[in-house]
Parts: sequence; structure tokens; C-alpha cells
Amino acid sequence: MASLLQPDRVLYLVHGEKKIRSPLSTLYFCRYCSELRSLECVSHEVDSHYCPSCLENMPSAEAKLKKNRCANCFDCPCCMHTLSTRATNIPAPLPDDPSKTTMKKAYYLACGFCRWTSRDVGMADKSVASGGWQEPDNPHTQRINKLIEYYQQLAQREKLERDRKKLARRRPYMPLAFSQHTIHVVEKYGLGTRLQRQRPGAPITSLAGLSLKEGEDQKEINIEPAQALDEVEPLPEDCYTRPINLPEVTSLRQRLLQPDFQPAGASQLHPKHKHLLIKRSLRCRKCEHNLSKPEFNPTSIKFKIQLVAECQVLLTLTNPVENITHVTLVGCEEGDPEDINSTAKVMVPTKELVLAGKDAAADYDELAEPQDFQDDPDVVAFRKSNKIGFFIKVVPQREEDGDVTVSFKIRHDFRNLAAPIRPSEEGDAPTEAIWLTHHVELSLGPIIA
Amino acid sequence: LNKMSDKQNAQKSAKIAAGAVVCVESEIRGEVTIGARTVVHPKARIIAEAGPIVIGEGNLIEEQALIINSYPENIAPDSEGVEPKTMTIGINNVFEVGCMSQALKIGDNNVIESKADLGRNMILTSGCIIGACCQVNTCEVIPENTVIFGSGCQRRVQTERPQPQTLQLDFLMKILPNYHHMKKTVKTTSAVTPAKN
Repeated sequence: MASLLQPDRVLYLVHGEKKIRSPLSTLYFCRYCSELRSLECVSHEVDSHYCPSCLENMPSAEAKLKKNRCANCFDCPCCMHTLSTRATNIPAPLPDDPSKTTMKKAYYLACGFCRWTSRDVGMADKSVASGGWQEPDNPHTQRINKLIEYYQQLAQREKLERDRKKLARRRPYMPLAFSQHTIHVVEKYGLGTRLQRQRPGAPITSLAGLSLKEGEDQKEINIEPAQALDEVEPLPEDCYTRPINLPEVTSLRQRLLQPDFQPAGASQLHPKHKHLLIKRSLRCRKCEHNLSKPEFNPTSIKFKIQLVAECQVLLTLTNPVENITHVTLVGCEEGDPEDINSTAKVMVPTKELVLAGKDAAADYDELAEPQDFQDDPDVVAFRKSNKIGFFIKVVPQREEDGDVTVSFKIRHDFRNLAAPIRPSEEGDAPTEAIWLTHHVELSLGPIIA
Repeated sequence: LNKMSDKQNAQKSAKIAAGAVVCVESEIRGEVTIGARTVVHPKARIIAEAGPIVIGEGNLIEEQALIINSYPENIAPDSEGVEPKTMTIGINNVFEVGCMSQALKIGDNNVIESKADLGRNMILTSGCIIGACCQVNTCEVIPENTVIFGSGCQRRVQTERPQPQTLQLDFLMKILPNYHHMKKTVKTTSAVTPAKN
């Protein structure tokens, strides 16, 4: 089971924009293009946002408003674990009769991993279990918001001018929606992610939006330039002589997780809201079909569409599909441009190997007829249901300390069972087999002297 | 000679104070003194090889915990001139499941979490928490209210000491005798019985 326990032993070559070699467990198989795809040759799209601790879904607009943070859950500022709410009973005077005291519940946040509590930074206990905790305000928020507005306006203006010029030039031709440069400008000031990734042939609705904006009267936002100071606060006199209280000093990671304040002392580390995670879907860049689409519900780890390569492509000669498959192994020829990593010559069996289909009930069916494939004992070592073991001869080329790597090509037939519906003419053969060739690299381990 | 044999015969079995709950399935070897209100779960192991162990009151020693007073690695058990050192454990400590403690001196209100590993040369004061799976083997005194946590054994100081597990101790002292047999406790005698001739 090289796929699970030693994932890097068997590498498959993916022909994408870049030639990537990676194990089969990380690859996808586009059944419309009949090709392997790796994570670098697919486009990633955000499906939904959810909080990893309370598993609450959040619509994208709300997530953007809350800066991709959960409203209920907090992270420990000391060890970044999830904080849990604990309750204690404290005696509190009754509102009617100040002399008597009753037990009231007081809640505080505590970390189970490093034992940090909200009382350590002086946050008072709250009387409500959730919703009472506030993050401290950033004193610079107003200035930052004003700066963001000003620059967004500037970016929009620049984009308008650029596209006006482009339109004027391209009148005789079909006007393209955006130039690549404007997309970068838009991205720089965060005007919106919807404007990127224009699909070829998509309608040009964005231009209509531009003309509308011209009609509105735009507010002129002026900002004051930042003022440079001549004098800087001097360091305290005992800066070099004062002994350091090591538990009080925050680590860089703790400091930078709170970019607003970056406290140097541990008694100013306030908890932050937990960051949201995303569920993403993958799309093949050539045929625009979805390769992987997770379920919307954050508690479910299943997929609506999951075209993982292991379910479709031959896997160290275990046949994952239910048909009989014929495999031919071909060694790489001299001067093969893809053969860069092999350090040994390999002699693969020249005959065609036949693999039986995957039959889930085969283990339980005692009366099944034994499969009757005539196997050449020099080639085939063993055969069990849909697996086959075969011999190859390896001649290491160099005396190296590293691993011996061999590469060869696997050629097998593949039946696309879920082919798109085409009008059948006079009863076509149900599925036609196509031959796929994959370049495989196998790492066999070090040479024992 | 008499004195030597007296010493050897003095305490071969564990001395368990009244009020302590020690399950029969626990393994106690050597000279071990266990204070009142201490709970020792089944499969806990307290082994006094190289010297006696004195455990205070109100401690909670959970399953598969190992408290061992063993010989240091470079000294053979039979060599002469090795003074037996007593291991002292204070009150209200918690030894969680699967931890191993060889520290010679442990104070009060400490918590040694699951699968933690304490070396022989450590001295815990009070209110310390040794996190789960942390192996601490240095030769030092851990200051009060220190928390050791994480795979890199990071440290920080907490403002309040961990609360004594009184609720849990009370619960266990009621429930454990319902399901396990207990080891016999030593009755405290007020007067010394006169030796009969």
C-alpha cells in the first residue's frame, strides 16, 4: 500500500503547465480530458466558510465583514489553541437586600493546553456564557479605514481611465472585459474578487457597471498626509541594566498574531476571534469541469463530486475499476526528455499483463470459479483478485548513496463509464476503451553494499 | 547488628494511613508511606527501590502512573556507600494516567499530566503543571506556578495555582470501594504497646 504509508515511493508524471511528479494519492483524474491533474493545474475556488471549532457555516459576505473570524470562538493568545468557557460560582450581593449574598455564575475563558485564563490579562469575568467578550479596539482604526477608502477610490478612477482608453482603441474588434493590468490593480486594493477570473466567452457585464458609476457623483475623499516627527521617545534609562522577566516577554509568534498591538508583555495578550477555514472546490483549467466539490455542511467530510486519481488510474497494479484491464509496461528509451530522475536501468516484462476487475463480493464468494489467466511464472509472481505481482530486473547505474530510482511507462486501457450523454447512433458500443499512458517513477530504496 | 535487622524489618510493607483509598490491584513495593485522603487507582505503581517514598495527603494517583525511587543509572544496586534517599511528595498533587515520576522532591498542588516524564534531579515546588507527554530531565528547581507545555516543553507562569481536586477525591473515595478491594490501612495507635517478655 505504497499510496498510504510511503507516499513518495511511486511518482506519476503529470503533463500540465509544469511537469510535476507526485504520488497518486495527491492527484486528480479529469475524466473529460482523460488526463491526470495535480493541484497546480487546477483552479481553486472558495466554496464556503466555516469555523473549525463550532462548525458554524458563514456566508461569504458575512465572513468578509467579520474579517474571516468566527463570532463565538476565541484562540488562546499564548498557544493558539481554542479557548473554552468555564464557570465559577461567586458570591454576589442580591439586588434587593445588599446584606445577603447568593451564588452567581461567572464565566471566564481558559485554555486547556497551556492553562492560560482570561483573568491573567485582567479581563473581568462575564455574567453571560457567550457574547460578552470583546476584542480591544485598535486606536488607529479610523485612520486606516479612511486610507482604505481613499485608495479604493483612486484605484477605481485609474481603472476607468485605462479601460476607456482600451475601449477607444478596440472599437472595431470585440472589446475584452479587462486587461491583465487592471485586474492586478483591482486586486491590490481589494475591490472585489468576483472581478477576477473572467472565463472565456463570458458576457461582459462589468462594462455596464462602469458606465453607471460615471453617472454617480463621487465623493472626493481627502486624506491628510502622515506627519513625520523630529523627536522620538527616548529609551528608558534602565534599558540595559533591568533584569528581564522571561515569562513576561512575548514570543515573536504571539506578538505577530496580534498585528494591531504587537504587545511586548504577556500581560497584554488578549484573545482573538478564531480564524475561519474554507471548503474549496477544484476545477480543471482546460475543460472547466469540477474535479472535487465538497459537501456544503461543515460537519460532513464527504464530497458531491470527487474525481480522485486513485479511483480511476491504475495503482501499483491493483486494478481499481471493475473491468478486466490490460497493462503493458514499456521501459523509457534513451534520451527520453521525461526521464531525468532514474538512476538505474530497468527491464520490464514485455508481455501484456491482464488484471481482473475489482469485485467487491469476491472475498465472500467461496464458490467463485478461480480466475483462469495463464501466467508466465517468470513474469507474474502472484495474483490475487484484482492485484498482480510481477518481476522487473533493475541494474543500478551509479554507485550512489541515494535511492535507486527507476522510471517506466504504464500503458493501460480505460473505459469512461460516466461519459457525457451523446446521441447514440444505431446502437453504439456502450463504452469505448481508450489507451492511457502514464510515466511512473519508482523509488526502490538505497543500495545495500 | 540488632539495629540493622530492626531497620530492615521495620517497614517491608506499605504504611497506608487511615482515610486513604488504595486499590488492591495497584503495585506498591518497598517502604512506602501514604497519607490520609490519598486515592491510588488500580494499576498504579509505586516502587521504592533505592530508598523510601513518603506520599502526603490528598493526592490523586491515577491508573498506570509510575512513581519510582530508583537507582541512578551509573550506580549499580549493590555498591556500598550509597545512601538511600527518601522521595517526598507533598499534598494535593495529581498524577494523571500513564505519567512517570522519578523526582525526589515534589511540593504541593502540582499536576503531572498524562504520559509526562519527570527526571530524578527535578524538584517541583508548588502549583506546577507538567503538561502531557512532556519529558523534563533537567537538574533544576521549577519555580512556583510554572506551566510546562507543548512539544518543545515551553514554559509560562500562571497567576493562580491549580485547584485541589477535592470534588474528584470525594467522589472516588465513595465509588472505588464499591468496585474494588482496598489495601488494609494501618490503624494509628496512640500508646505504644508494651513488649511482652
